[in-house]
Amino acid sequence: MDKERLYEKARETIIDADETKAINIIFEAQKDGEIDLLDLLLYGFGDGNEEIGHLFDLGSLSLPELIYAAEVMRNVTDTILNLLHDDKEARKILHKGKILLATVEGDVHDIGKGIVASTLKSAGYEVIDLGCEVPAEVIVEKAIENDVDIIGTSALLTSTMLEQKKLIKILQENDMSDKFITMVGGAPCTKRWAKRIGADGYSEDAVEAVRVANELIKLKKNKSEE
Amino acid sequence: MGGARTAGDMVMRLQLDKKMKINEAKAYVAEKLGVTLEELVDVVTMSELREDLGIGLAHVEPCAEANMGMEAKFKIAEILDIKINSVEKFKKRAGIK
Amino acid sequence: MEKKYFTRMGDGSMVYMTEEEIKADIQLGMEDAILRGKVDPLTEEETQKLYDIVTMSGIIVGVEPGMQVVSSNDSGSDKISTKCGIPVTRDVNAMIHERVLGADSVDIGNSDYNYKTVKGIAKREATILKQALRNTTMPLFYGAMPNLGFYTKPDGPVENWAVLLPEGRIKEALQAQEDAVVHAVNDITYVAKQMADVGADGFQLDTSGAAGDADFLAALLACEKITKNNPELKVEIGAAGEFVLGMHGKLKYDDQIIAGLYPHKQVKLVEKAGASIFGAVVNTNCNMSFPWNIARVITFIKACTDVAQIPVHANAGMGVNGIPMCENLPSDVSSRADKALIEIGKVDGL
Repeated sequence: MDKERLYEKARETIIDADETKAINIIFEAQKDGEIDLLDLLLYGFGDGNEEIGHLFDLGSLSLPELIYAAEVMRNVTDTILNLLHDDKEARKILHKGKILLATVEGDVHDIGKGIVASTLKSAGYEVIDLGCEVPAEVIVEKAIENDVDIIGTSALLTSTMLEQKKLIKILQENDMSDKFITMVGGAPCTKRWAKRIGADGYSEDAVEAVRVANELIKLKKNKSEE
Repeated sequence: MGGARTAGDMVMRLQLDKKMKINEAKAYVAEKLGVTLEELVDVVTMSELREDLGIGLAHVEPCAEANMGMEAKFKIAEILDIKINSVEKFKKRAGIK
Repeated sequence: MEKKYFTRMGDGSMVYMTEEEIKADIQLGMEDAILRGKVDPLTEEETQKLYDIVTMSGIIVGVEPGMQVVSSNDSGSDKISTKCGIPVTRDVNAMIHERVLGADSVDIGNSDYNYKTVKGIAKREATILKQALRNTTMPLFYGAMPNLGFYTKPDGPVENWAVLLPEGRIKEALQAQEDAVVHAVNDITYVAKQMADVGADGFQLDTSGAAGDADFLAALLACEKITKNNPELKVEIGAAGEFVLGMHGKLKYDDQIIAGLYPHKQVKLVEKAGASIFGAVVNTNCNMSFPWNIARVITFIKACTDVAQIPVHANAGMGVNGIPMCENLPSDVSSRADKALIEIGKVDGL
C-alpha cells in the first residue's frame, strides 16, 4: 500500500469532514498491517486537522464546518486509540493538555472564546469552558479543582480587561504562578498587555491560540523534566 | 475635511444623499457654491463665503448675526438642491410649506 | 551603520527598521492580503509610495493638497463622555465635534452601543438626536451595532450559539442565529424609524458582522428595509473585520454566501442593500510591524474602492486599518495610515 497516498486520503477526509471514509481508511491501514496507525493519525489525519485550522483562519471555512471536521478528527483519534488497545505511549503523545477558558467578570462576549474552545479541542486539548462573566476567584478555584495546565481568559472590552490582571495578581499572591500557564485574548489585548500584567501568552486569534498553547505546554514540560 | 470650517459637512451630505464618491461630491458642492476645488477646502475662503451665504460656521461669533443649526440647513438644502431630512421634518412640524 | 527608521508594531510599541526590513515587510503584508482575499497586488509605484509614506520625515504627515476627504464616525458623540470621562450631554458633544473639532459628521449613540438595548429607549434617544439636529449644521447619524450576540439567552430570546456550537449542537446553533436575525432586523428598523421621524440624516450600522455572517445579514436586511420604508434616512454599514466570519456558514444575501467575504465583495452586498456608504475594515495584527500592516490594509482597501460604486470610508480607529491596537493613538503612524488610505487606497472618507 502506498503510504503517502493513504496519508493524503486521510488528510482529505478531515478537510471534507467525511467520517465514514476516514474510518474506512483506518481499517484499510490496519488490514494492510504495514502502516503505523499512530503515524497515520499524526501525519495523515493530523495534517488535515492543521489544514482546516488554516482554512478557518483564511475565512474559507465556517465555524460549523470547523466543528464538524473537529468531531470527525476526535472520532478518528478514539478509533485509532482503541485499535492500539489504549496504548499509553500513544495517549501520552495525543493528550496535549487541559485548558480552562472563561470570559472575565462583567463581560458577556463569548463568541470569540467559543471559537478558541473549538480550535483547541480539535487540536487535541481537553477544554473546560466556564462561559462568560466569570469572576477571577471562581476561575482560580475551578482551575485548581480541575488541575488544568492552562488558564485562558478572554476580555472584549477595554473596561473589563483589567480582570485579566486581577487573575494574574491572585495567582501571584497565592504562589500559584508556576502552577498554571496563563493566556489572554480578546479584541483589546496585545502581547504588550500580556507582558505588562505578567501573563505567559497572548494570541491574536483562535488558530494562533493553538500554536501558543502548544509552545507554552512544551516549555512547561521541558521545565518540569529539567 | 474640516466640516463647517470648510465645506466638509456639505460634501458629506452629497455622499449620503446621492452616494457620490469624494471627487464627484466635491465637484458638485464647489460648482453650487461657485468656488474652485482649492477654495472649497480653504478655511479662510470658506469661512467668509459661509458667513455671506448663511450656511453655518464653526466660529459663530458674533452669534447674533450668524446662521447656524436649523436655519443654516434651510439655506444649504436650497443651495445644494437637496432635501435635508431635519429641515423637511422641521417644516412639516412648523407648518411651513 | 545602516540608517534605521522609526515606526511601530501593531500594538503601538516603538520599533526601528532598516529600508530593507521595511520593504520586506511591505512585500509580505501585501502578499498576505493577496493570499487571503485573492486580490491584485499593489503596483511597484504604489509600494514605493507606501514606503515613502512610512519613512517620510515629520511626526504627523498629511495628504497632498486637494486630496482631503470627509469623515464619518461610530459612537463619536459619546466618546468625550465615555472615553474621556467628561460629563457632557450628547447634543453638546455633537456641537463640540462640529465647532471645535471640525468634524464633517458625527453620530449620536448610546454608551450601551447596540440596537437591542436602544430599542427600549428609542424614542428617548430620538429626543436627544432631535435636540442635536436643531443646533448643528453638519449631517448627524444615529449609530449602534446590530450585535447579534445580545439576542442570546439569558439576555435575549434565542439559544446561545456560542455555547451550542462547541457542544456540537450545530442545527440548533444555526437555527438560533437565523431566529436572532429576525429579532435584530425588527429592532433595528424600529429604531431607524424613530430616528428618521426626528430628522436624522444618517443611520450607522456599525461593526456589522461582529457576531459572524448572521450579524452581517441582519445589517443588510435591515438596511434594505430602512432604505425602502424611510428613504430620507441614509444608511452607512460599517464592517467588523476583513472577512465575514462564518458563524453559520450557509447564509446568503443576493444569492451570495456571506461567510468568508473580504471587503471588495462585502461592498457589493452593501451596495445591493441600498446603503449610501460602506465602512471598510481590515484588522491590525498586533504582532506585525506598521509597514506589514499598512501594506496588507492598502492591498485590501484598494481592491475594495476599485469595485465600489458607493463611497467607502475606511475605519481609522483603534486596532483597524493600520491603526495600532492601543487606547491613546500615536499620531505618527495614525497619520501615515490615513495618508496611505486616502492617497493609495483611494478611500472617500475616514
